[in-house]
Amino acid sequence: MQTIELNKVRKMYDQFVAVNELSFSIEQGGVFGLLGPNGAGKTSTIRMMIGITAPDSGQINMFGKPFERKSLQKVGYLPEERGLYKKMKIMDQLVFLGELHGMDAAAARQAALSWCKRLEIDAWLQKKVEELSKGMQQKIQFIAALLHDPDFIIMDEPFFGLDPVNAALLKDVMLDLKKQGKTILFSTHRMDQVEKLCDSLCVINKGNAVLQGDLKEVKSRYGKNNVQIQYEGDGAFLDNNPLVATYNNYGNYVEVRMAPGADPQKLLHMVAEKSRVSRFELMEPSLEEIFIEVVGKNDA
Amino acid sequence: MMHNTFLIARREYLERVRTRAFVIMTFLIPLLMFGLTVLPSLIAMRMSGGSKHLVVAATDRQTADLIRQQLQKPPEDSQKAQGRASASTKYDVDLDTDVTDSERAALNEKIKQKQLDGVIWATDEALAANKITYITRDVSNLNDFGIQQIVSRAIHRRALLRKGLSDAEIESALKPMDMEIVSPMGTGAKNPLVAFFTVFGMVMVMYMTVLLYGINVMRAVLDEKTSRIMEVMLSTATAKEMMIGKILGVGAVGLTQVAIWTSTTGILSGGLGLAASGMLKGVISFKLALFFPVFFLLGFVLYSTMYAAIGAMVNSEQEAQQLQFLVAMPLIASVIILVQILQNPTTPLATWASIFPLTAPLVMFTRIALDQTQSIPAWQIALSIGLLLVTIYGLMVLCGRIYRIGILMYGKKPTLPEIMKWIRYA
Repeated sequence: MQTIELNKVRKMYDQFVAVNELSFSIEQGGVFGLLGPNGAGKTSTIRMMIGITAPDSGQINMFGKPFERKSLQKVGYLPEERGLYKKMKIMDQLVFLGELHGMDAAAARQAALSWCKRLEIDAWLQKKVEELSKGMQQKIQFIAALLHDPDFIIMDEPFFGLDPVNAALLKDVMLDLKKQGKTILFSTHRMDQVEKLCDSLCVINKGNAVLQGDLKEVKSRYGKNNVQIQYEGDGAFLDNNPLVATYNNYGNYVEVRMAPGADPQKLLHMVAEKSRVSRFELMEPSLEEIFIEVVGKNDA
Repeated sequence: MMHNTFLIARREYLERVRTRAFVIMTFLIPLLMFGLTVLPSLIAMRMSGGSKHLVVAATDRQTADLIRQQLQKPPEDSQKAQGRASASTKYDVDLDTDVTDSERAALNEKIKQKQLDGVIWATDEALAANKITYITRDVSNLNDFGIQQIVSRAIHRRALLRKGLSDAEIESALKPMDMEIVSPMGTGAKNPLVAFFTVFGMVMVMYMTVLLYGINVMRAVLDEKTSRIMEVMLSTATAKEMMIGKILGVGAVGLTQVAIWTSTTGILSGGLGLAASGMLKGVISFKLALFFPVFFLLGFVLYSTMYAAIGAMVNSEQEAQQLQFLVAMPLIASVIILVQILQNPTTPLATWASIFPLTAPLVMFTRIALDQTQSIPAWQIALSIGLLLVTIYGLMVLCGRIYRIGILMYGKKPTLPEIMKWIRYA
């Protein structure tokens, strides 16, 4: 069953097309990355999925039927704009949010307690949010999204502003949820995270889908014609080189996309002539590179 | 739908009622009112309890005796009703016809030694000059002002006695006159001043509560907006549920506060057996008890809907100030109109202002409250309430649209054309 299915969904704000004829679907149990630069229409898409706004045209199905508000009780949403009631006690807050998702108070209390134990913040349950550190508030925010055991979890920029410890913790929780068969949608512009977690993805830019499909399939579509080179010396040889389609200089190393049909071996010789090579590796393009390419092409 | 609204309203209510500010406001205000109105007379009563040992010094025994009689006479009903505290003091009175300077010095000394509480120096000389002297240790005791009247009465009595009138004749000549004020309908308030101030007080409570709690609704929305919890909420609740929940929750807090204020005031004044509570009985009629909550609730919902929309539009309280003033204007205008209406509730201005929805809650209530002759046609009251309901519905739809878009708009304050656009979005 498809957990969510968007069919030619379109949303306009005045003259501005925020989302244009967007279609994608997520299989139950899938982890999906909704990617795009800032302002691409990711949040607009999510808001339509959960009924905060309505699409101007197109169809959205959730759990196999047209969108209805009742379905939202099975959805967990972590918005990009994080927020909690600052003056409310953690426990009261979680119980309140659980009740809004259709739980009864006792079940919500129970779930809040077990989640807080798992994330090691149960000692703070009677504190107010404003007394907590940023990292703890982030944990509470996750719990708020997951408390009611949703089948479909939507996380808008989940790793934004997380310290490494919390980021790792969240990743573990995500993997665990995936194992339980939950459907997860990530919206982000952080490609490295998506690469680690997602099965499939959709890249949108200016409201249009520019690339979508299974992660492995997408990467193989781009072939093993990428080279990472680590070297000392002058890198000017990369400019105006007929062998090189594009390249990205990351400082410590350069990622080069070969021109179609070009032989990487020739490039190696060229590099070796001009500088000391410490690493020369043929590889699949990173998602980030694909992203930059498709979005860049789309912008041009 | 109902369930979410209820949950949101309950959260709002519980969180607010638990704050220190609420507890302080709820108990401080009546305490303050109590302090300002009841406490002085209560203190006076306390102090006057017990007895005082006085000496009345007069040139002749008859005068001294008359003053003693008046001092020891039980208080009259009318005095009791006015809560005159001095009436309850018991006086133990000695007479003294030695009015020499040396005797006065000796009495002075006795007061100093606390063998005496006071001396009333009412010699013929003093009476001729219309000026008696009261010598006492605590010169600031308010109750002792009553002594002036007591002595005055005694002196009147003495004058009449000397004209040869009998005790009964004097009694009837000096009997104070009562006045009762009635309307042509024969019913009417027992005391127009009390009626006036009761209505005035109720209207002020309505005005203050609508304004204060309307602004509280705005703050609650703004608070939710700045804490960025809106989107979390919106993933299960609709904007309409959130807006109505907020208004109901904050409104319930306001009602709780008013209820606590009225009941504590009632208990405090009732418990003290104060005359005020007895007088209010005739003034707070069934009519007032019925229409006060009606217009209070309508007014509150009307204004807090607008305040909720403002809260959704802006990003900070500073930004809200102008808009806030705009919304408060009709409320302030109502109070200005009221000043006129309190003097004359039958002008055309009063009629129109009581039907125009934005001024109706305060003005119509005042008209009804002051209407001793039942002269307001029922259709006017019905029209006023009907228009209020229609306006509230319209504003809910309108402000609901502003709210729905506004709560997700951060950053710059929207312009009027932008807000018009929000309203047009389906």
